[in-house]
Amino acid sequence: MTWKNIKLVFMREVRDQLRDRRTLFMIAILPLLLYPALGIGMLYMTMLFSEQPRTVVILGADSLPEPELVNGNQFADRWFSSPTVADKLIVYTDRGTEENARQGTVDADSTSNAPITEYTVESGKLLKEAKILQEKYLHLQQLEHTEFSELMKQHQDVPGRASDATIKKAISQFTVSPKIFQARQEFSLLFAESQIQVLILIPEGFKQQIHMINQGLADGTLQIEDAPQPLRPIILQNSADEKSSIAFHRVQDAILTWERELLAERLSQAGLPATLHTPVNVQTVDLALEDQIAANLWSKLFPALMIIMAVTGAFYPAIDLGAGEKERGTMETLLISPATRTEIVLGKFFTVFVFSVSTALLNLCCLGLTGKYMVSMTGGGAFSQIGDVALPSGSSVAWLLILLIPLATLFSALCLALATFARSSKEGQYYLTPLLMVSVGMTMFCLSPAVEIKPFFSIMPVMGVALLLKGLLLDPTSTELTWYALPVLLTSFAYGLLALWWAIEQFNSEEVLFREAERFELRLWFKHLLRDKEATPSFSEAGVCFVLIMMLQFGAFKFLGDAFQHATAETRDILMLRMLIIQQLVIIGSPAAFMGLILTKSVRQTFLVRMPHPWMIGAAVVLPFVLNPLSVELSMRLSWFFPPLPEGAQEALSAMSAESTPIWLALLAFALAPALCEEIAFRGFILSGFNRTGRIGLAISLSSLTFGLMHMIPQQVFNAMLLGLVLGLLAIRSGSILPSIIFHFLFNGLEVVKARYGEAIANSSSATLFITSTEDGMHYTGLTLFLSGLIATLILKRLIFTDSATFVEHDVAADDVAGKSTDVMSPSVTQ
Amino acid sequence: MIHVDNLTKRFADLRQGSVLALDHVSFDVQPGEIFGLLGPNGAGKTTCLRILSTVLKPSGGKALVAGHNVATEPAKVRSVIGFMSANTGLYDRMTAWEMVEYFGRLYGLPEEKLQPRLEEVFQMLQMNEIRDVLGGKMSTGMKQKVSIARTIVHDPPVLIFDEPTSGLDVLVARAVLKTIHTLRDQGKCIIFSTHIMREVEKLCDRVAIIYKGRILANGSVGELEQLYHEPDMEELFFDLISRHEALMAAERA
Repeated sequence: MTWKNIKLVFMREVRDQLRDRRTLFMIAILPLLLYPALGIGMLYMTMLFSEQPRTVVILGADSLPEPELVNGNQFADRWFSSPTVADKLIVYTDRGTEENARQGTVDADSTSNAPITEYTVESGKLLKEAKILQEKYLHLQQLEHTEFSELMKQHQDVPGRASDATIKKAISQFTVSPKIFQARQEFSLLFAESQIQVLILIPEGFKQQIHMINQGLADGTLQIEDAPQPLRPIILQNSADEKSSIAFHRVQDAILTWERELLAERLSQAGLPATLHTPVNVQTVDLALEDQIAANLWSKLFPALMIIMAVTGAFYPAIDLGAGEKERGTMETLLISPATRTEIVLGKFFTVFVFSVSTALLNLCCLGLTGKYMVSMTGGGAFSQIGDVALPSGSSVAWLLILLIPLATLFSALCLALATFARSSKEGQYYLTPLLMVSVGMTMFCLSPAVEIKPFFSIMPVMGVALLLKGLLLDPTSTELTWYALPVLLTSFAYGLLALWWAIEQFNSEEVLFREAERFELRLWFKHLLRDKEATPSFSEAGVCFVLIMMLQFGAFKFLGDAFQHATAETRDILMLRMLIIQQLVIIGSPAAFMGLILTKSVRQTFLVRMPHPWMIGAAVVLPFVLNPLSVELSMRLSWFFPPLPEGAQEALSAMSAESTPIWLALLAFALAPALCEEIAFRGFILSGFNRTGRIGLAISLSSLTFGLMHMIPQQVFNAMLLGLVLGLLAIRSGSILPSIIFHFLFNGLEVVKARYGEAIANSSSATLFITSTEDGMHYTGLTLFLSGLIATLILKRLIFTDSATFVEHDVAADDVAGKSTDVMSPSVTQ
Repeated sequence: MIHVDNLTKRFADLRQGSVLALDHVSFDVQPGEIFGLLGPNGAGKTTCLRILSTVLKPSGGKALVAGHNVATEPAKVRSVIGFMSANTGLYDRMTAWEMVEYFGRLYGLPEEKLQPRLEEVFQMLQMNEIRDVLGGKMSTGMKQKVSIARTIVHDPPVLIFDEPTSGLDVLVARAVLKTIHTLRDQGKCIIFSTHIMREVEKLCDRVAIIYKGRILANGSVGELEQLYHEPDMEELFFDLISRHEALMAAERA
C-alpha cells in the first residue's frame, strides 16, 4: 500500500466530483441558497400570515359586573398580556340588542346614515344561533339534573338533606342514559355546525349577586351558611376543534385576569389586603445569560443538522464513486490498474470524507449565519428575550470540528460500503432512506432534553458524538464532558475503521463487484435455496437466522408480558421460568433447527454433531468454574458503566433465587434450555454460516456479537459477547457442539446454584478461603480470582494457539466413524 | 510468458445453480505471438481473461503471467499487463489526455518519462486532436483509441484484449486490429478473444476454440484445418461445437 496511489485516486475522484454539476449543487450551492431562501420564505410568511379572528358570543352580557370585560366588539385590551391578542377575537354580545334591532329596522326603512354594517348583520345571525344553543343547553342540563336527582332519591335512606357519602355514591353510580347521551351528541353537533367558536352564557342576576356579596362582605353582614348558591357563567367550547380551542384559551386568559381584578375589588371593599388570595406568592428569578440562551439554541440545532448533513454529504459522492463507477463500466478499468483494492478504497474514502465534512460545515455555517440574521432582524416572538444571538464560541466550534471527524469517517465508510454493494446508482439511492432514518432516529433521541451523555452512551455510535456535542455546545468548558471526549472519539474512530474495513471487504469480493443486475424472481430464488443446498448454511442464511430470532423475540415481548400480567404473585416465579423455557424452545431453538433442516444438506456438519476430543470436554468442564468468578468480578467492576437493569430482568433474576421454585425447574430454565437452544442456534447454525467465510476469527466474533445482541440488556449483551467468544472458540476448535453445550450449562448452572445457596456456602467456614460474604452478597476472594485467571489463561491459550486439526480429524473420517473418533485421535494429544 | 494450467472457475447462478464457467483450461502464449481465444458468447472467454488480469480469482488450477502467479501476486501481474475489454470504460468527466496520464501515474511511470511517453502514444494512435475532449463527449471510435492508449501507456510485455472490436464500425475495427498487429511486431505477448472468425484467420498465430468453459481445440489456424480436414474456419468451428454437444448428450444419456 503506497500513499502515492491513494493520493492519485483521491485527487482524481475529487476533481471528478468537482466537475459534476449535481454534486457541486448538492454540496455547495444548496446550503448557500437554501437557508437564506428559507429565511426569505419565513419573512414572507410572517408578512402574509394574519390570523383569522375567532368568534365569541356572549349571551346575558348585560349581567356582566364591572369592570368592563368587553369593549365594543372586542375584549378590553387590558385583560391580555399583549394587546394584539384582543384583535384575534371578535365578540358579539346581546347587550342592548332590542334597541339595536329597533333602530336597525327604522334605519333600514329610512336608508339614511348609520349604515347596516357587516358586523350588525353577522351579529343578528350569530345571536339567533347562540340563543338556540343556549336553549338546548339549558334543556340538556335540566335533563341531566332530573335524572341525577332521581338517582339521588333512590340512594336517600333518610329524607332530607343528602349526606356527602350519598352524593358520592350517586355520582359513582351515575351512568349516562341513552336519552342523555343522544341529547349530548346532538348538542355537540349543533355547536360544531354553528359559526361560534366560544359561547359564554352569563346567568341572569350575576352582576347583582356579585354586588350583593361584595356588599355583604364589606358590611360584615354576609353569613357563610345562608350565602346563596353562587351563579356560574358557562363557557362552551370544543377542544377537538383547533379554532375553538385556541379561542377558548384566549378567552380563558382574559377572564382569569378579569376575575383577579374583581377579586381585588371585593377585597378592597371588605378592607382586606389585596394579597389575601396569594399566601405563598413565589417569585421566580431567571438567571440565564444571553449567550447561554443562544448556546441552548445552537445545542439543539447543530448536532442534528451536523449528523444529517454528514450523511447526506457522504452519500451522494459515495454512490457516484461506488455504484456509479460500476454502472459506467470504469470499475474494471480501475481494478486492473496496479493500485491495490485497499488503495482504491482509501482514495475513494478520503474523497467521500472530504465531501461529508465540507457539506456538514457549510450547512452549519449557513444555518448559523442565517439564523443569527433572522433573529436579530425580527427581534420579537419566541426569541424576544435573546436580543442578539451570539454565535457559538471558539471552543465550541473547535469541539464541533473535532467531533465531526469521527462522525464523517463512520458515515463515509458506511456509505462507500453500501454504494459498492449496490448494483446500480438507482439501487444505491434506495439505501439512503434507511441510513438516514436510523441516523435521524438516533439524533432525535439525543435531542430530548432529559438525555445526557452517560458512560454507556459514550460508546454508542453516532449517539455518543451527538450527546457530547450537545453538552459541549451548552458548556464548552465543562471538565466532566471533556473526559467523555476520549471514549467518544476512540469508539467513534473504531466504528469508522470497522465500516472502512467492511468497505474494503466489499471491494475484495468478486460477487459484489461483478454481480450483474440479473432479474430477480422470488420463485426462482426459493428454488435456488432448496435446490442448491450446501453442507452448511451460507453467510447470509446465518444472518437471516439471527434477524429471525430477534424479530420473534420482539414479537414475543407483548405476548409474554400479557401472560405475566395475569399471573398472581405466587405463581409468578414458576410462570416466569416456564416462559423462559418456552421462549428458548420456540424463539431461539426451533428457528435455527428448522433452517438447518430445510436449507442445508448436512445437519451433522451444520450443527457440529460429532464426538469431541476428551481434552475438549475437559476444557469445557473446567472453564466455567474458572471463568465464572472472573466474569462476576468484571461485571461488578463495570456496573457503573451500564444503565440500571430494567424491572423485568430483575424479576427474572429474582425468580432464579426464589425459594418457592424447585431447583430443578430453575436449572432447566436457566441452564439446560439455554445451553441446548442457544448453542444450536448460535454455535450451530449461525457459527457454521459465518465460518463459510473461511476466517475463523471473523466467524467467532460475529457469532458472539449476534449472541450478545440477542440478550437485549446492555450488561448481559456485554457478558454474553465475551462468553460467546469462548463458546465459539470451543465449538470451532473441537469441531463439535458438545463442549459449548457443557460449558454453557455449567456456567449458567453455577449462577443458579450461587443465587440459591451462595449465602450458605459463603458462611460455612471451609469456603472462606475462596468466597467471602459481604453486605451486598457473595464475593470471590483475590485468591480465587488469581487462580481462576491463571487456569483460564492456560486453557484459553491452548485453545487459541492450537490448530483446529489437532482435535478434529478430517470430515470424511468423522462422518464415517464418528463414534470412534476419540480412539483415532488420542496419540496426537500427547504433544 | 503466459502459462495457464487446468484453470477452473465456478460461479453461483440463481437460475442454474452452480455453473462451471471454466473447466480445466490450459494453454501457453509466447512473446511476439498473438493467441486467439475463439468462442461464442458465454463460452468463458471473458472469465478466463478476467482471471488473467486478476480481477477474478480462480477456483482451481494455476495461471502464470510473466512468471507471476495471478492468485498470489496480483499486484505484480497487473503491473506487467495491459488489459482492454468492452467493460473497461472511460471516465466521462476526464479528457483523453488526463485519462491516459492518470493511468500512467498509477502504473508508476516517473513524471519525466510520462510526458514524452504520452506524446509518443498520442502520436502513434493519431489522437492528438482529441486530447482535450471529455470522455462523455467522445464517439465509440475515439473511446476505443483512448482505451488502447491507456492499455499500452506503460509499455507492458503482455497485452490482453477481450473482444476489442465488438460494437465498432468496420473502419475503427480495422484500425484496432492493425494496432494489435503492430504491437505483436514489437514483441509483445498478446491474448485476443473474439467470436469473429475473420479476425482470427487474419490476425492470430495460434487459436484455441473455447465452448462452455472447455477448450475444444488448440493450434495454429493451419494446423487445425489440417487436423480436422476442414479448410474453412467457420465450418470447423461449428463442426467442433456440434461434435461436443453430441458427446455431452451421450454422456448425459
